[in-house]
Amino acid sequence: MRIWGWVTDMLKIDNLVFSYGKIQALNGVSFTVKEGEILSIVGANGAGKSTLMKCIAGLLKAQGGEITYDGQELPKSANAVVARGVALVPEGRWIFPNLTVEENLLMGGYLVKDSREGLERAYRMFPRLKERRNQRAGTMSGGEQQMLAIARGLMSNPKVLLLDEPSLGLAPLIVNEVIEYIDEINRQGVTILLVEQNARKALKIAHHACVMEQGRIVRYGTGDEIAEDESVVAAYLGKKA
Amino acid sequence: MFIQQLANGLSVGSVYALMAVGYALIYSLLNFTNFAHSITVTIGAFTTFFFLTYAMENLFLGIFAGILTAALLAAFIEFIAYRPLLKRNARRVYLMIIGLGISVMGDNLVIIAFTGRFRIFPVNFPSESIQIFGSNVGLVDILIFVVSMLALLVVELIIRKTKLGLAIRSASYSLEATSLMGVDTFQLILWIFLIAGSLAGVAGTLLGAKYTAYPSLGTFYTNKAFICAVFGGLGSLPGAVVGALVLGVSEAMISAYVSTSLRDLFAYFLLIAILLVRPSGLMGKSSEDKA
Repeated sequence: MRIWGWVTDMLKIDNLVFSYGKIQALNGVSFTVKEGEILSIVGANGAGKSTLMKCIAGLLKAQGGEITYDGQELPKSANAVVARGVALVPEGRWIFPNLTVEENLLMGGYLVKDSREGLERAYRMFPRLKERRNQRAGTMSGGEQQMLAIARGLMSNPKVLLLDEPSLGLAPLIVNEVIEYIDEINRQGVTILLVEQNARKALKIAHHACVMEQGRIVRYGTGDEIAEDESVVAAYLGKKA
Repeated sequence: MFIQQLANGLSVGSVYALMAVGYALIYSLLNFTNFAHSITVTIGAFTTFFFLTYAMENLFLGIFAGILTAALLAAFIEFIAYRPLLKRNARRVYLMIIGLGISVMGDNLVIIAFTGRFRIFPVNFPSESIQIFGSNVGLVDILIFVVSMLALLVVELIIRKTKLGLAIRSASYSLEATSLMGVDTFQLILWIFLIAGSLAGVAGTLLGAKYTAYPSLGTFYTNKAFICAVFGGLGSLPGAVVGALVLGVSEAMISAYVSTSLRDLFAYFLLIAILLVRPSGLMGKSSEDKA
């Protein structure tokens, strides 16, 4: 929401709590994502990053706390969250391997009345998907599948895109490509919440960033601030090359 | 004799296919076997019988009434019995137990309501037969086969050509991922039960027409259809159809050339054999390609 030129909060996470039985995954997580920015969340394996994404997307029901989007509480079911304009590209991509590339994209635009425009945009952005539009998605390479997953996430015309580990399992060159695409999507006006283990790259394109540890946000700052924070460098970035 | 038995087998097999596809559809989305399927078949047969007896002797309207009632009953069962468990993310085995309970309860309720009598449809089905390659093939068998195949074709078209079908194919891979696309998965599941119930209604009507309507009709024939679905590969729609036709024809051949008393035993023999040799069935693949 933008009022008289002021950038306001798009997505507000307030004291979110979630546990898998006795294992506490989110321990009172709070942060806000501003309109039009990329907010990166970095953290080790098991810090609760994916759980957080699933709670926002409506796949998991938080046991406590609140998620507000554009000033209103975000619905609790996954399909309603998409309908509100928040789409998740999950970790591991979750493409439909049995469907063709185009059918995957059409599924992404399930709620959109006319998907033609979305398809065109997706093919313009990812020409390789157009070449393979009639190919079964499961037969594509990891990088192509990741591009499909991102393109599919954009088909519903979301205002906020949640990206969970988009570089997972990809070759370094492809990772750079994916990161560039994310930057480009953001420049087109989509607010992005990015969870990434590849912290250096995630911080480079981030306007703001959080560090997550054991189900809590332990640091918040601009991308550069976090990238230069000594403890973050020690834990997640290692020595700069 | 051979052609005659083949026609008979294909006719029975095509009805098995209607029910087996119902099992496969639900299994492909929810990974459990809907044992309550049987009661929808029985109710389909009874609805058509009562419609023809008390409303009007219009076979097409009678069949339509049977399909509609069976579909609504299937959706009702989903809504009151399965949905609460699905919402709580209960283990699938509990859904199967509930389905078994509904099946047994349904059979008994039908006996209480309508007695255990066998009821003959008050319509004169064509008893003539036509000559194919020198053999007499009953017109009823041809009619049943054609109606069943048409019903299956409609379902196939829905799955391959419509937006609903696309969502069903996605959901057969992952319900969770499908919900992330904005699909209301509970609504989708309801649709699946409506489709499976409609097919069960067609099957019930055809079985009632061929053999009479009686309370355990659904249970007896859905047991066979379940075996067809397992034989073809649980969750695979083409597998269910192939399994059904194989079982239908095998049964017809066994009762003609071996012994009628061995006919029903064969289905269970087939079930055990396939589970021992190839547990995933003829066309059962991994979870990738079920619908």
